[in-house]
Amino acid sequence: MSKAIELTDDGLVQRMIAGDEEAFTLLYRRRHPAVYRFVLHMGGNAAIADDVTQEVFMALIRDAKRFDPARGNLSAFLFGVARNHLYKRWEQDRRLVPIAGDADDPASFANLKGAGNGLTARSGGRNGHNGSGGGNGNGHRPATIGDELIAKETVDRVRQAVATLPENYREVVVLCELEEMSYEAAAAALDCPIGTVRSRLHRARMILIEKLREPQAVRRASAVGE
Amino acid sequence: MSGEVIHMNCKEFEEVLHDLDRPGTHGFDLDLREGALLHAEGCSHCAQLMTESESLDFSLHALALRDDVLLAPAHVEAQLLNQFRQHRDAVSSSRSRWRLVALATAAGVLLAAAGSFHHWSFSGMGSGAGSDSGTHMGSQPGTNGTVNNISGSTAASNVGNVGAAESTSGAQGAGSEYASAFVPLPYADDPSTLEGGMIVRVSFSQPALASLGLPVTDLGAAEQIPADLVLSEDGTPQAIRLVSQTSANQ
Repeated sequence: MSKAIELTDDGLVQRMIAGDEEAFTLLYRRRHPAVYRFVLHMGGNAAIADDVTQEVFMALIRDAKRFDPARGNLSAFLFGVARNHLYKRWEQDRRLVPIAGDADDPASFANLKGAGNGLTARSGGRNGHNGSGGGNGNGHRPATIGDELIAKETVDRVRQAVATLPENYREVVVLCELEEMSYEAAAAALDCPIGTVRSRLHRARMILIEKLREPQAVRRASAVGE
Repeated sequence: MSGEVIHMNCKEFEEVLHDLDRPGTHGFDLDLREGALLHAEGCSHCAQLMTESESLDFSLHALALRDDVLLAPAHVEAQLLNQFRQHRDAVSSSRSRWRLVALATAAGVLLAAAGSFHHWSFSGMGSGAGSDSGTHMGSQPGTNGTVNNISGSTAASNVGNVGAAESTSGAQGAGSEYASAFVPLPYADDPSTLEGGMIVRVSFSQPALASLGLPVTDLGAAEQIPADLVLSEDGTPQAIRLVSQTSANQ
């Protein structure tokens, strides 16, 4: 296993194609969390996320030769496959699954284990820059229960705001903000020009700022969703 | 960082706002950030926008951190591993099957090549030793008959095959008849393409035979010489062989 760990994604894919189960296991464990989170944010439902994640890696098993490192890294390839599967599923369902508001749905995002178990912000903000809006999470003082609640509320609000974005905006927010992908990698995953990713992200961020300015409106929308 | 202060208006500020500090973009430039901050200091609207943008950064970062622990359930990995093993086995057996098919094909091709070589060498021998045996005409197969200077050749053997198919038209029943091998005529087509031709028995005068390129010198000028002509499907003479006059008359 130690040798395999050192291998790059491309190397692991080659070994996987040759039938190396260990390489596949390593690839899956390395790359599935991001794919799973992406699908979860886009689909809003753990059952869908389970299915689509499985389909994505099934596609990798069947058609690993379709992955061309020259066109982007493996993550971008997997996100692209996940996105295609999601779109197919949405076409079949003829409706977009709402991400939030269904508190009774045991598979809904809000009821997932892990999501919402205490906030400990990394360094705060993009690229280590500590934003001025959140306050908590720098590790300078121990988080109190009150801080935790405020932080949880903040996260829930932004989660809900992201969930209500149009899907073409949502996917760039998930990829570029939550998964911290570069514009270039996101463009490869979404199969669109870098400029499109940039402009969509700017627009999406403006929409999010608007939504977060009016928390009450979001809450009302959530209540209607329930 | 050049140290040069960048002055920007609100539009330019909004252009770069969401790329500030984003690696891989022009907004990562410290000068640009300084310029944006400078603009925000003098513009309350942009200052608020900047604060909200940083707040959004923080919230999104917090959301990403909170969701960092989310993983697909273990049963997904188990099912995928099963699928991987099945796929690997299927590919492996498919490869074995293709190898077998390739081997069988190669063996078939070799057999066919060997068979055609055998056939070719057998018919090659037949042209020299038994071209006339194919015509069922002579008791002495392979003889050149009365025209000694016409020898068997591949072309003759080929037309001899035609003769074998069509021998009833001329020589069948003439048990003691002697015939030379067929000789392609000068203007004939490639003998190998002669399929479905016909043999006819005709009589030639010596000059007529000579005009066909046959050196017949021992015969009288007035004498009619029987010969078999191979005609192609369009009726064009393709080859000729002489038939022993004596035998033919018997």
